[in-house]
Amino acid sequence: MRDANALGGGEALAAAGLIARRELAASFDSSIAYVYTIGFVVLANSIFMNEFFLTGTADMTAYFDRLPLLLAIFLPAVTMRLWAEEKKHRTIELLLTFPIGPREAVAGKYAAALGLYALFLAGSLPIVVMLFVLGKPDGGLIASGYLGAFLLGAQLIASGMFFSGLARDQIVAFVTSSLAAFAFVLSGNDRVVEVLDGLWPSLAPGTILSESVSVRPHFDAFVRGSIQLPSLVYFCGMSAVFLWMTALVLREDRT
Amino acid sequence: MEGATRWYGSTLAVDDVSFQVRPGEIVGFLGPNGAGKSTLLKMISTWLPPTTGRIVVGGHDVVREPLAVRRRLGYLPEHNSLYEVMRVDRFLEFAARIRGLGGSSLRERLDWAVESCGLREVLSKRIHECSKGYRQRIGVAAALVHDPPVIVLDEPTHGLDPVQVVAFRGFLRGLRQGKAILFSSHVLSEVIAISDRILVIRQGRLLADTPVDELERRAGAAGADVEAIVLDIVTTAGSA
Repeated sequence: MRDANALGGGEALAAAGLIARRELAASFDSSIAYVYTIGFVVLANSIFMNEFFLTGTADMTAYFDRLPLLLAIFLPAVTMRLWAEEKKHRTIELLLTFPIGPREAVAGKYAAALGLYALFLAGSLPIVVMLFVLGKPDGGLIASGYLGAFLLGAQLIASGMFFSGLARDQIVAFVTSSLAAFAFVLSGNDRVVEVLDGLWPSLAPGTILSESVSVRPHFDAFVRGSIQLPSLVYFCGMSAVFLWMTALVLREDRT
Repeated sequence: MEGATRWYGSTLAVDDVSFQVRPGEIVGFLGPNGAGKSTLLKMISTWLPPTTGRIVVGGHDVVREPLAVRRRLGYLPEHNSLYEVMRVDRFLEFAARIRGLGGSSLRERLDWAVESCGLREVLSKRIHECSKGYRQRIGVAAALVHDPPVIVLDEPTHGLDPVQVVAFRGFLRGLRQGKAILFSSHVLSEVIAISDRILVIRQGRLLADTPVDELERRAGAAGADVEAIVLDIVTTAGSA
């Protein structure tokens, strides 16, 4: 019998995979996954098509531009149940007394939420096909936009999981996650930056927040086709910090 | 378990409790609501760390080696909370796989758990569609599917009908070979009928750790029944 106090790489991966599969199956069994995916795809694609007919340009900038605000609503709806539901129904005690650590549980649920988000994004693939049929879009620009969208979603899912880990109620988890997501997105908005800078011109808090905290400058770089190391580090680092804090909360918050 | 103590903020839930359960032994845990039974079992399960004291399961410390403890433990939590939307067969398979079972041993153990707990007819149902008695048996099956050497069950007969309770007694006694079994219950007669030894806890303190044989001997000498003797322990020690 294995007695190490942490799972080996293969075991940890297998445990996380089992949890991810269980989580995804639960999402589809309860119809949540269908409702969210259809809702997101219909809304995001409709907004894009409206812009597309107005501008007539064969690129996906209009799709990616609206994405952060949509994700600030839809991804908290995905993550709100991940831990709050386990706490409310007390299944968390069952889950975390299986021979796994909080890290494997967090990784499994994170992978499941990422999988569902990948479905959200896959719903826009007909747009890509349409653009290539109707014109000559820049494939590299589109690929870079999708990479940015995936990384942006990965960060918002990680922060949503953290707030779900803190809450015992899904509504509280949704509201706090959504507020945090809007803060990450809007702190990079030019008008918000101007207003905040105007409050304390010598310190320029809006600029500081935009450059250090906001997802917007990093995401916009991907949408413009610029894949930069600092942006990759930002998204991966922020995601890792929130996942680590989630595991910490799960280790400490027990009754 | 040596001097296990657990505080919730300023509330003392378990106060300096020490006992041991040996392989092949069934120990019943008795006590009124809020006595600290579930907190104690949660500490053994690694869910809650003791504030002070030491708990060792199968030679492994619950705080320093929680994974090794969990691998050796079959645990039924207090409220037997299950994943409601999962099908029974998928839930049991999940419980088995996450404990490392695979291949032929997975099938063998799943078959054993399903047959032993009488779950064949609800296998394809979702858990929320099952009756309380079935749900309790699903929880027990999930706790035992990996053939653990240490079994901790919190109120395992809660929700079972009288026939199922009698069957469960026989089932638990049949499991005892080489296993250390600790279970809690509110029902005095049930604990006496199943256990080799009884632990009585009240207000977080262990009031008695007595073999059932000894209780029966005392009852015979006093011309009373065993239940009256146990009640006397609870009330006398509690008021002392």
